[in-house]
Amino acid sequence: MVMELEEEGEKLVTPGEVLGKSSSLIAGKGTYLAPHNHIIYASLTGRLTTITPPDSKDQRPTVEVTGHKAYGAVPEPGSVVIARVTKVMARMASADIMCVGAKSVREKFTGIIRQQDVRATEIDKVDMHFSFRPGDIVRALVLSLGDARAYYLSTAKNELGVVSAESIAGAIMIPISWTEMQCPLTGQTEQRKVAKVEWLAEFNFSVIVLPIVSDVVADALVWIPHGTCISCSKTMLY
Amino acid sequence: MEYVSPEGLRLDGRRPMEMRQIRAEIGAVSNADGSAVFEMGNTKVIAAVYGPREVQNRSQQINDQALVRCEYSMANFSTGDRMRKPKGDRRSTEISLVIRQTMEACILTHLMPRSQIDIFVQVLQADGGTRSACINAATLALADAGIPMRDIVTSCSAGFLNSTPLLDLNYVEDSAGGPDVTVGILTKLDKVTLLQMDSKLPMDIFENVMQLAIEGCKAIANYIREVMLENTKELEYRRGI
Repeated sequence: MVMELEEEGEKLVTPGEVLGKSSSLIAGKGTYLAPHNHIIYASLTGRLTTITPPDSKDQRPTVEVTGHKAYGAVPEPGSVVIARVTKVMARMASADIMCVGAKSVREKFTGIIRQQDVRATEIDKVDMHFSFRPGDIVRALVLSLGDARAYYLSTAKNELGVVSAESIAGAIMIPISWTEMQCPLTGQTEQRKVAKVEWLAEFNFSVIVLPIVSDVVADALVWIPHGTCISCSKTMLY
Repeated sequence: MEYVSPEGLRLDGRRPMEMRQIRAEIGAVSNADGSAVFEMGNTKVIAAVYGPREVQNRSQQINDQALVRCEYSMANFSTGDRMRKPKGDRRSTEISLVIRQTMEACILTHLMPRSQIDIFVQVLQADGGTRSACINAATLALADAGIPMRDIVTSCSAGFLNSTPLLDLNYVEDSAGGPDVTVGILTKLDKVTLLQMDSKLPMDIFENVMQLAIEGCKAIANYIREVMLENTKELEYRRGI
């Protein structure tokens, strides 16, 4: 009576259907394991897929059910998110999470970046106003679900921090080091905790070619991208 | 009054163990995350599910699981005489609570902490068995919304009139004053999540009537599964898979 569609060995399942025993399968997304009888059931309506196991100790394949409704992403501890800074205070900054990984969220979530999570070194000497400003777009890592009000975020890695910011003059600033960004209109530099962006290393501008010097700050967190076009009068040397 | 004729036919021509005709439709409310229309005979119910989304009332937030809210209301035109107060009266509050508890038992709430799932059920035509139709519609709407569930919950009612167990009572049979047993079960797991009864029944007859209602639930579950699979195939076809 229940119709099963056999196409390339995959079939459609509905919630509650038995998929197998936990001794021979691992429960993946869209399935769950009932603790009392060790049987794996489907929890969504969708297509059943079996993933062959990698060469590890556990040789059981993983079963997954992919549903058709993709509801908005939800931040999980350990996921990288894109957020817009809304408030900057003495010991923390508030941000609205807009994307989780590559997916945008349906409704915004609130996150906070505490002073000790801004960077990895000298965390007690962090000045929040020299790290973020309201309106900055930051890439951050979700530390935990946090308290009742907001997720806890961290930017304490090279590739985390401000990815895009507007200067006081209103132009999008160019990153010049992990602590500074420069406005292309006025040439003024502003301090931020800047994220190291991969593509910057590959750009070739003919104006100034800068060597990479990395002998300054103890943990070698200083980086200067090759060939960034900055204002003509400055050469970056550390 | 005679509810079962000597030939064994009920007032609407059904046999005692026969259910009314059921019809289900998924995706009636395009704005909702999941929605369904469910008809059992003349009883017609529409359910809309919103969620999981952020909890609107912070004080009600649960840290390790999702909050399930349910609201049952009857349209003014759903009964013979125009209803004065569609929701907020005792019966609606009780049925809202009942549906919420039933659905909460089957949703895997621990997968969505600090979020909220809203189930709105509206009765468009009431002809007995509205509680059961609402639960069946809510199940379909939740499955349409892609909310992970343990199993499909289906519900059916059964009664006992003229010394005969009757399956799926309509309004006339329900108002006869006899016992009315409503059962909600998780069909594949074979677990009861809802059991309500009006009036009184001796224990041995109660077991027969409850078993009859469970059979009705299983028949509805088969139909609901077919509808879900059909809907999924339709969605895949439209996406070009």
